Amino acid sequence: MIRLQNIKKVYRTDTVETLAINGINLDIAKGEFLSIMGPSGCGKSTLLNIMGLLDEPSKGNIQIDSQDISSYSDQKLAKFRNEKLGFIFQSYHLINDLQVLDNVELPLLYRNSSAKERKRLATEALEKVGLSNRLKHFPTQLSGGQRQRVAIARAIVGNPQIILADEPTGNLDSAMGNEIMDILINLNKNEGTTIVMVTHDENMAHKTHRLVRLFDGSQVQ
Amino acid sequence: MMFRHLFKLIWNKRKQNFLFLSEILVSFMVIFAVFSFLTFYYQNYSKPLGFDYKKVWSISYDNGLLTKNRDSLNIFYDNLYKSLKAMPQIEEVTYTGANFPYSNSTMSTGLNSNGKKFNPVNSYVVGADYQKVWNIKLVAGRWFLPEDAVTKNKNFIINETLKKQMFGEGDAIGKLIGDYDDKEKMKIIGVVQDIKANGDFWPAGNAMFTRLDTGYFRNNSHILVKVRDGADATFESQLYKFMTNTMKNSVEIQHLSEMRDAKNEVTIIPMVIFIIIASFLIINVALGLFGVLWYNINKRRSEIGLRRAIGASGSSVSLQLVMEAMILATMSLMVGCFFAIQFPLLSVFNIPASVYIVAMLLSILFIYLLVFACSLYPGKQAAGIHPAIALHEE
Repeated sequence: MIRLQNIKKVYRTDTVETLAINGINLDIAKGEFLSIMGPSGCGKSTLLNIMGLLDEPSKGNIQIDSQDISSYSDQKLAKFRNEKLGFIFQSYHLINDLQVLDNVELPLLYRNSSAKERKRLATEALEKVGLSNRLKHFPTQLSGGQRQRVAIARAIVGNPQIILADEPTGNLDSAMGNEIMDILINLNKNEGTTIVMVTHDENMAHKTHRLVRLFDGSQVQ
Repeated sequence: MMFRHLFKLIWNKRKQNFLFLSEILVSFMVIFAVFSFLTFYYQNYSKPLGFDYKKVWSISYDNGLLTKNRDSLNIFYDNLYKSLKAMPQIEEVTYTGANFPYSNSTMSTGLNSNGKKFNPVNSYVVGADYQKVWNIKLVAGRWFLPEDAVTKNKNFIINETLKKQMFGEGDAIGKLIGDYDDKEKMKIIGVVQDIKANGDFWPAGNAMFTRLDTGYFRNNSHILVKVRDGADATFESQLYKFMTNTMKNSVEIQHLSEMRDAKNEVTIIPMVIFIIIASFLIINVALGLFGVLWYNINKRRSEIGLRRAIGASGSSVSLQLVMEAMILATMSLMVGCFFAIQFPLLSVFNIPASVYIVAMLLSILFIYLLVFACSLYPGKQAAGIHPAIALHEE
């Protein structure tokens, strides 16, 4: 599903050159639930951003769903992200000025779907994460766990093949973290969604199919 | 669909957008005022002048002879008229009241027709050759004749504006009209083209012309002469000497072309000052809008990053921010138009409704262009926000 070949990422300033990722090769199968672990600054999020087409590798090749996206224009990349990928972030990144339902509808705004269809799909997604009773709430009226569930609903509303989760339980206590993890596991099991998750939590990582460890930009496991 | 989403987002953030909305509203009202003036002046400027001023000189005098006998006075002015007319450089001569075009005098009255009062009406007291001096065009009827001095009803002439107000498209000639108190009936004998007596930028308004009778000479102090092409400063000097010797008192000769320039400057100079002040205000508003949009974008980096992640391209982010600014502008303009539309509805300052409507449309267009221009660069900057960085800033 995702193939990374000799991925390198170098950040350059006038005086400093930082190697964030150093020649990573990784194949992630369809329906796989993979976790990435490693100390802070080892390149986990950078690798996830590259997989999510939010960042370009300095070197190397990336294929998603057998498509080489290296020559894609900005427009085509945006469409690809919208249709194939779903994102979950540690700090949720919900728009506080929009109600829960509107937040979940966001990815569908960049597709040609009607308002009625958007509402139906967003409501369904919120039902899946157990938040069908919070449609008209604003994010500031929700707990951390509920906000992350809204973010998951937003990630799955467009029925993407891949979900990229950057420390989805990082801001939550263990009970809420487990709840979120259960949702992701069910999503992977029932919908066959490929999930790549960056985490610091060994317990969470061990619930996934495969664990990849990074250290100083290189894969060590 | 994006429009609805953006409107919802803006509506939910209306308190944060209050400054932006207020700035646009104030700008719109200022621009509306400027465009109202400009439209009013342009509409008047584009109308025909209605007379020819270029070779006309005014002679203002103070008769120092103090002739008390009316017949003697009439003979004196008749001789003066003939002497002036006999000068080869002079084509036409007429006596006039003080409120001739471009003078700073006004004389107005009111008229009554079919129970309706028309007030104010500029009242011009004119000599027999007044029409020839100014080359005023008759639209209907005739100009004054000597026999008008002895008619049962006082004969008078009106301009087109007054004719339209009184009779619409109907005929005015021969109609009897009541004077200010509706005690005396006067008969319309002619309709002349409107004359813009207050300068190029002001409307003719209602006007009536009555014949200067001999009794008026006692108080009269103005002669208008239409000179021929060869009339130069030497002739002006001769004319001045002639008039001074005749009147035994002070005389002033003015060229109507110079009086016109002076009259127009009274309108143009304040207008230019007003436009300069408004321009500075608009520059400040533009910088303010630019700043507010810039600030908003920096505050919304994470949202922009998120939108990029979930499917927005750089250009759609840019478009979104421009659209948001345009929607905000629309909200302000709706409030602004509510206030602006009261001007034509209530006929404020007695200015035609078309002036306000045109000014409103121009102001709306101007504000949209201003907001579009101010949002373009911040929108472009927003498109350049790197999603991977923006999503990890919090």
